[in-house]
Amino acid sequence: MNPLYLGTSERRLFGIYEPPAVKCGRPRAAVLCYPWGSEYVYAHRSMRHLATKLSQAGFHTLRFDFFGTGASSGDPLDADLTGWEGDTESAIEGLKDIAGTTRVTLVGMRIGGTVAAKAAAQLADEIEALVMWDPIVSGAEYLRSMDITVPAPVQMAAPDALAVAEIDGYPLSARMLRDFEAIDLRVDLAAAEQRSLVLVTERLASHEDLERDMPVAGARAALEFVLARCPWREDVALTGAVQVQAIQRIVEWLA
Amino acid sequence: MSDSFTEHVVLLGKRQSLVGILARPTRSLPDAPAIVILNTGVVHRVGHHRMYVIMARQLAAAGHQVLRFDFSGIGDSSQRVDHLSPVNSCLADIADVLDSLETHHQVKRVVLIGLCSGADHAVLYAHRDPRVVGMVLINPSIPPTARYYFHYIAQRLLRLRNWISIATLRSGLLRRLMTQARYGVLPQSQPDKLTLEGLQYSPYLGQCYREAVRHGIKMLAVFSALSPRSTYRQQMHDAFRGVEFGNALRLEFFPESDHLFTPSRERVRLGAVITDWLAAMSPTSAATESHPRILRFHRAAGGA
Repeated sequence: MNPLYLGTSERRLFGIYEPPAVKCGRPRAAVLCYPWGSEYVYAHRSMRHLATKLSQAGFHTLRFDFFGTGASSGDPLDADLTGWEGDTESAIEGLKDIAGTTRVTLVGMRIGGTVAAKAAAQLADEIEALVMWDPIVSGAEYLRSMDITVPAPVQMAAPDALAVAEIDGYPLSARMLRDFEAIDLRVDLAAAEQRSLVLVTERLASHEDLERDMPVAGARAALEFVLARCPWREDVALTGAVQVQAIQRIVEWLA
Repeated sequence: MSDSFTEHVVLLGKRQSLVGILARPTRSLPDAPAIVILNTGVVHRVGHHRMYVIMARQLAAAGHQVLRFDFSGIGDSSQRVDHLSPVNSCLADIADVLDSLETHHQVKRVVLIGLCSGADHAVLYAHRDPRVVGMVLINPSIPPTARYYFHYIAQRLLRLRNWISIATLRSGLLRRLMTQARYGVLPQSQPDKLTLEGLQYSPYLGQCYREAVRHGIKMLAVFSALSPRSTYRQQMHDAFRGVEFGNALRLEFFPESDHLFTPSRERVRLGAVITDWLAAMSPTSAATESHPRILRFHRAAGGA
């Protein structure tokens, strides 16, 4: 396990690189994108475990913190989804360099899955496959889950970097609120050209829309359900437990 | 990154298996102790609400070297190979980390900061190591007192739901009272698990605090009213009546904070209290800037 910094001096990103534990044919590499907010805290252990399992399956892996989150530099109020897409590109470049590959797989959980889908749509030639673990499918649904039912006009019109809400202790800027509200994974998925997997452990209303629209993405995209405990939520009895079934399915699918 | 500090990845311990981030000030305060921030439960070194990242950066900007690291088996650190119990594993990790800081970074004086179990680990460890000169204990385990139970029960009895639980003998309050009564009769002297808040560990914790005072370790203890562990400011003194804290202890009580200091305005206040206490330890310390972006929110929201 190798902790490192990547990106630029203005956007210094913290990441953990793990080399493949076994050598099997051509080098393969995967960039892992975390969730946001308290989901990031509780999912960390499962994401570490996923990286280790991918390493054992022969992948170079790099999991990193988006700008303004975790151990990366920056203020959360200066972050936005476009910037996080750029951070993902930085991580991809960094891992390609380390692993000596020309293409990588993107694996993201929750908002990390949504950002991965956006990045994959922009970088068709560099992304081998895309895995989204319970990605945010609908921005409105995501905001409702954070008790923001309908963003007030004053929130939506506020200056970009002004905090308009605080979600479990994490400040949410007006710009990020607008970014979240605009999320529609179906659009990003339709634009992504890679073999893609949407893995769902918690069924939501938005998944019906996604199921209906999956054919738009063609045979290259799959939607699977592994209904189990969500690793990104605090669970007094199980905090620290790892979501083994979903991790196994992701590794199998990528293998 | 700020001009006032730099951050470096460090691998610590005998096996280099403990992952940490060391924030180093551009201009160190003369004689300022280094700060070591301990994990809360199984949450990795970033902390709830990114609390420890912001705290480390603020304290580094004020002139302290600040390390936040993951205990073995938590976050990005690998497990120990010596099969120690969870508590002893954490205490051994702290010793390993202080050894590494002393060897590679010439650190000779350390303040430990912890919240919840992190505070408990600090209390259990501090008196064993002369390098520890201070502790910031945020919601550490504290035995319940008669006044605590009065507040706790009064709050509970105001809720209809709790009356229904008592009537149907499913009350957690009843269970807790019976458990505490049993341990009040049978005190234990050694901790065997990470939760130390029951009466059974009261003598052992008291002994640790007494030793800390005897070794001249300064303490800042911070309690939140909305934490299940404490209900009033003086509970620490009432719970450890056999400990003469004197000037070694500064007590702070946050009436509007929950256990994890979730609202950012409470974390801003907590940061100010810690900075102030450290400044008193290191008189040459400069005041730390508040977190401007968080304040920006509170001004907008009409908060403090």
